[in-house]
Amino acid sequence: MKFQIPIGPQHPALKEPIGLRITVEGEIIRDADLRLGYNHRGIEKLAESKTWVQNIYLTERICGICSHSHTTCYVQGVEKLMELQPPKRGLYIRTLVAELERIHSHLLWLGVAGHEAGFDSFFMYIWRDREIVMDILEIISGNRVHYGINTIGGVRRDLDALQVKRTLDSLDTLRKRSEYYKHLGTNEPSFVARLARVGYLSREEAISLCAVGPTLRASGVPMDVRKDDPYAVYDEVPFEVCTADTCDVLGRTVVRIKELFQSYNIIEYLLKNLPAGEIAVKAPRRARPGEMVSRYEAPRGENIHYIKSNGTDKPERLKVRAPTLGNYAATIKMLKNGFIADVPLIFAAIDPCICCAERAAAIVNARTGEEKIVPMDILRQTSQRTSPNKDEKREAEWPL
Amino acid sequence: MLTKLTRWSRLKSPWILHLNTGACNACDIEVVAALTPRFDLERFGVLLKATPRHADVIICTGPATRQMKDRLIRIYEQTPDPKFVIAVGACAMSGCVYRGAYNVIGGIDQVIPVDVYVPGCPVRPDAVIDGVVKLLNKL
Amino acid sequence: MNDQFLIEKAKERLKDKVLSLTNPAPRRIFLGVSVENLLEAVNWLKKDMGFTHLSTISGVDLGQSFEILYHFANNACSLTIRTEIPRETPQLPSICELTPGAVLYERELQDMFGIAVQNIPDSRPLLLPDGWPAGNYPLRKDWKYERPPEVIPGGKK
Repeated sequence: MKFQIPIGPQHPALKEPIGLRITVEGEIIRDADLRLGYNHRGIEKLAESKTWVQNIYLTERICGICSHSHTTCYVQGVEKLMELQPPKRGLYIRTLVAELERIHSHLLWLGVAGHEAGFDSFFMYIWRDREIVMDILEIISGNRVHYGINTIGGVRRDLDALQVKRTLDSLDTLRKRSEYYKHLGTNEPSFVARLARVGYLSREEAISLCAVGPTLRASGVPMDVRKDDPYAVYDEVPFEVCTADTCDVLGRTVVRIKELFQSYNIIEYLLKNLPAGEIAVKAPRRARPGEMVSRYEAPRGENIHYIKSNGTDKPERLKVRAPTLGNYAATIKMLKNGFIADVPLIFAAIDPCICCAERAAAIVNARTGEEKIVPMDILRQTSQRTSPNKDEKREAEWPL
Repeated sequence: MLTKLTRWSRLKSPWILHLNTGACNACDIEVVAALTPRFDLERFGVLLKATPRHADVIICTGPATRQMKDRLIRIYEQTPDPKFVIAVGACAMSGCVYRGAYNVIGGIDQVIPVDVYVPGCPVRPDAVIDGVVKLLNKL
Repeated sequence: MNDQFLIEKAKERLKDKVLSLTNPAPRRIFLGVSVENLLEAVNWLKKDMGFTHLSTISGVDLGQSFEILYHFANNACSLTIRTEIPRETPQLPSICELTPGAVLYERELQDMFGIAVQNIPDSRPLLLPDGWPAGNYPLRKDWKYERPPEVIPGGKK
């Protein structure tokens, strides 16, 4: 006997509106369906009526957490179209802000994962340390989110010696605290038991469903745009692609923690080898007709922009595919044959940024067809109650 | 006497519901950051609730998209009286950069009545605290 | 495997089915085929060349026709296949048997441009709201949106 549960647009688990309908049989999910469109704002149509520079501020506001990734991807594409080469110092500063954004996004995700698993002190400690990164970003760019540091041809603000010193000092604090969180996140028995074997996605499925980012890398596939298609200064900076092979939420946590440490090393390298010089070149007002594809490794996965120009000062077509949309098909696969109690965790594990992807769960009783809205809070409490006995329940078929 | 007591208890513990109607998430992260140890909002008695039926204050971010319009009205009606709405961010006030898009109606004051506007893109957590305190002073 | 190698392999395998082949920047190749040869080109890319990852599918309104671009990627290069379909009869074969992850992007094409994708496993609208009037395809160039005047509560009317 199957029930269908709608998880409706307002729910406290994810801070964004999506509609999720899951068909359940007892506690086990048989099918899932996503209703997108609550966050669709029609940005691609708006972008055709704004100039190249105005579009930087529009693409920045596609997402608040990965705003620099959308701006950089767009600006890189336009620079290739206009055949501009930004100076080295500008590229170093751009990469520095990109890695700082990766750190703040992964720390945000770790806190949210702790909150979903019921580990609220973890969440509060990590977000306290995330404020260190936000302070550095504010010193460099002037704002905590939506930095506005990119312009066509380079960056807008320069770094001076005091900012460099302050960043390097905070790196030491962050490194020490991240070691503590790594130890806690991977050795605490109840936390690990909550995450292990949840949301399994095998290697072949991940490749055929075109998953991106840590979701793909936790299934053992070493695909990272920074290594495959290097942009900015990633061909000079030494770093490694982090993978795990447990294919579940625990693997994704491990991949993100490893990436945190790689980012600390990259930032140290960038600051120690910062070249002197200009930070931007002057960009023409119009672009020649042509098209370009631009890819970027955002904290959540591969971000791709397709830009086409027709010779005027406005783009002809701007197409954005954000990383979370690439992970949707994989999410539906992961939700099948899982438990209702795991829904918040599986969904949080792909690090959803629904505002990027588009532009409440309803439980539908398949027997009678009636709908009942279940708040996500109650789902989370249920999940915390059932987790200690998780292993036995996974094998049992509920006799309904 | 009883009204003074109820008024005092409402002032000392406003429970909030955080609603996102199609925003870019920056304001939401800043609202959640306002609850973390650095900019603690819980010292004013504020608790983050999951359902509109328990809440006194709705903190709303994001421009009102067409798809969310009916849901927004339904959630507003599900909140028991006396209720207040805080519109956080430039998107919730007038639509920010998305004015003119086909799926965006404008700010949320086109759909539900708003009491306090907090400007910024995105808002700083300090501004959110300021907005909540100003609302409490109005009561 | 670099750009030159891929270009030669494409010419050798697909011969005269290739309508255009450009290389505007390092690691970016644009390959043009007609709609009938689309599935064969995608099959060759996946099986022989190892391009298993589909990044996205873009649609562009060119006035008299629609241009559809399939962006594939692997460890060395990003190759885009482009086809054109006429505006009066916008129909496209689905590549979901070869790449199951393409279903969401094809649904988006259906919503935004009004293109009918044949054999798609799931053809519900993806992004547009529930009460959207049928026949309005937002990303077509001739579809304009007029914003109704807004009422400012408490302000001047």
